[in-house]
Amino acid sequence: MINLTEATLVVILLSVLLSLGSTRLMALVQIMALQGVMVSLTPLLLKHNEAFSSGAIIFYQVMILIKGILIPGLLYLAVKRVAIKREIEPFVGYHASILVGLGLILVSVFITNNLRLSLASGNDIVLITAITTMASGLFLMMARRKAITQVIGYLMLENGIYLIGTALTNHTHTIYVVEFGVLLDVLVGVMIMGIILHNISRAFDDVDTTLLGRLKD
Amino acid sequence: MDIFLLSLSVVCAGGLFALSTYRLFRLMKAGYIALTLAGCLIGLYAVATTLQSDEVVTFSGSWLHLFTLSFSLDALSAFFLIPIFAVCPLAALYNFHYMDKAADSGRVAVNFFFLTLLIVSMALVATADNIISFALSWEIMSLSSFFLVMHDYQKKETRQAGYIYILFTQAGAMFLFAALALAYSYTGSFALSSFATMPASIKVVVFFLALVCFGSKAGVFPLHTWLPHAHPAAPSAISGVMSGVMIKMGIYGIIRLYGVLGATDIIFGQVILVLGMISGVLGVVYALGKQDLKKILAYSSVENIGIILIGAGIGMIGIAVGDMVMASFGFAGSLLHVFNHSLFKPLLFFGAGSVLHGTGTKNVDQLGGLVKRMTTTGKGFLFGSLAISGLPPFNGFVSEFLIYFGAFHGLTQKGATFILIMLAIISLAFIGGLAISCFSRVFGLAFLGEPRSPEAAKAHETDFSMTFPMVVLSAVCLLIGLFPDPFVQMAMLGLKSITSLNLVETSAVAVVTQNLGFAARIFVGVFLFTVVLRKIFYRQKEIGSGGTWGCGFTQPTVRMQYTGTSYGMSIVEFFRPFVQVRTYYSGISKIFPGRTTYESRVDDIAEITLVDRIVTPFVFLLGKFRWIQHGHIQLYISYIIVTIIVLLLFM
Repeated sequence: MINLTEATLVVILLSVLLSLGSTRLMALVQIMALQGVMVSLTPLLLKHNEAFSSGAIIFYQVMILIKGILIPGLLYLAVKRVAIKREIEPFVGYHASILVGLGLILVSVFITNNLRLSLASGNDIVLITAITTMASGLFLMMARRKAITQVIGYLMLENGIYLIGTALTNHTHTIYVVEFGVLLDVLVGVMIMGIILHNISRAFDDVDTTLLGRLKD
Repeated sequence: MDIFLLSLSVVCAGGLFALSTYRLFRLMKAGYIALTLAGCLIGLYAVATTLQSDEVVTFSGSWLHLFTLSFSLDALSAFFLIPIFAVCPLAALYNFHYMDKAADSGRVAVNFFFLTLLIVSMALVATADNIISFALSWEIMSLSSFFLVMHDYQKKETRQAGYIYILFTQAGAMFLFAALALAYSYTGSFALSSFATMPASIKVVVFFLALVCFGSKAGVFPLHTWLPHAHPAAPSAISGVMSGVMIKMGIYGIIRLYGVLGATDIIFGQVILVLGMISGVLGVVYALGKQDLKKILAYSSVENIGIILIGAGIGMIGIAVGDMVMASFGFAGSLLHVFNHSLFKPLLFFGAGSVLHGTGTKNVDQLGGLVKRMTTTGKGFLFGSLAISGLPPFNGFVSEFLIYFGAFHGLTQKGATFILIMLAIISLAFIGGLAISCFSRVFGLAFLGEPRSPEAAKAHETDFSMTFPMVVLSAVCLLIGLFPDPFVQMAMLGLKSITSLNLVETSAVAVVTQNLGFAARIFVGVFLFTVVLRKIFYRQKEIGSGGTWGCGFTQPTVRMQYTGTSYGMSIVEFFRPFVQVRTYYSGISKIFPGRTTYESRVDDIAEITLVDRIVTPFVFLLGKFRWIQHGHIQLYISYIIVTIIVLLLFM
């Protein structure tokens, strides 16, 4: 029988690698939607929390709604409205990025083993995925030129943080209140970024962040 | 305490009322003034009962479940609360016609709100009883006054002045926090009353760390640099409140800290005395060299802070050597001068504001002859000038006399103390003389003579709400001069909070003050008699009138009058090493000379030193790190990551 948890984590890892290698913005947004849904599903699939209170159910539903639909929708609108050229324009090439992503998985395994945390069985894989996602998010923020890819990198970072929370906590859903706060932050961040993107593209006719370098004094 | 808290809530309600009704401009102003006035009157009532009953009332509440904010109202607090509750409503009233642009209504409402915050926070500073509440209200006071200075934020000079102010006040606050933290680490208690248990050497460190903060707030030389920038930039009522009341919180801090430390080392008194002498003399010399009316008043505040510190210094030395007469009179003179200065400095700032309102300029070399066009303002300014110069029969004379009295009593001491006190007496006399020349210059240039510019010629008297506060303040200045006894007793009451001070008998003080008042009343009587006599003698005679200072010329021009520079420069140049005078003179070279120009500027040595010796090298050094800020977001993010990694690895 297929282990659902591991399958989900594999999908997440693949989505991370895919996002590092994708050349089109629209594709990237779609990948983020998929990754968001998968990340929100992970805590449900972990074995040792069979009993859910109604609050937790609502919480996970809201989580999927925001991560899977709302934020990608906003990003989609931003890409549409600002009429960005659809290429991603990397500093680090696509193949090199994927290679870095693979390297990051190795480093994550190394870190997880070195942390020597007493984790529930199966959670170490979650932690590996989480660290990879986080590091890839940071890498995406550093290695891409467009402002919107920074937002996506930031989202990925948040997904990673959420996964770490899933791996480390004891799954009482009160702990997710913190996660929920972070999520709200991200949501607001994405909204603000949409506005800023609009302004950047109005001021510079492009959303290339290297152009922002002109703003320094 | 309930009444005191009630007054603060009413004042707060005034500020919120202003914010909520800013669309109805006149209603907002009227409602705000009414509420502030009501709140401050209630506050004065609370203060009066405290001063009479001489019991300490306290109030405390918890904050954030972690800290206790405790406040207590004792005699010293009550004394410093009087100027807050007496002067601030007058400033609010003054704003009614001063802030008359309905288009700026939102901005005016914000200004009113921050004035409210300033009043409340000053009252809380004066009553704070533990470290947390003191630091908290101190910060609110600094920040709210920063926003008040920034009222005209569209002007570049205003923004600059505001930034200078916030720099000084926040740098000062750092020293305050350092002092309070050091004290806490030794006493382990937040209460101010536990300060007395510290070891003597730590007391000295705490006192001088805090002195940096209190000194920069009070405007003690060389930490006064923000005053001549912030006061001209702020609206006049705000300058009046800041200069008259807020900077006194620095003095309150010094005296309160001295009281709670209970230290009697002579070093405290010596340092305070020397700082007072330097501030006093240099403040008034710079005031003589400046052209901007409000800048002159700002420097004059530095001078008056100097006088207050001389009084406090004499008081502290008196305690240290055990001469309680000297200590009592020194401190009483200091406190009374705090009160007096909070009366005549707002009076002068209100006058300057009226001049600015009526003519549109505050450069004294552009003014002239205003007393004929702005009679009430002119008379108010004259009263204020006389009072601030320390001339009888006004209040400035009374407080300076008390300081003199204490100082002369201290001349029985030997050695270094004798020399210091002798120097204090000389510099007090010096300050008095210079202050007279400074204010005769200001009044002569701005209000006498003929108008030097068309704006000054078109000046008009301002409205009732602006002249009324000046009339009230002038009347109180004269009242204290004529009947000093109750006010000196009030200052003596305020001193009861300093435990190391054994006050002299009230009867001994009463002898001095009653004689003083009697002499002042005789003086006024003689003066009035002379005026009446003059009226009688001139009744039958023909009186001709010509242009002021026409000197019999057939074609006098206004440019033949004294200018500010020609009047003050001979004195200013005497202080050459401490005052930088820069002159630009084009010179006369040909037989028929062309247009010649002469310009002189007096620069503040503290400011120059600060800019040349500290700021410029610092900017140069930090400029070497400019490459870090290159504008690439991606690299900024990598800075963050590197920092996180380094912290994770090494912390």
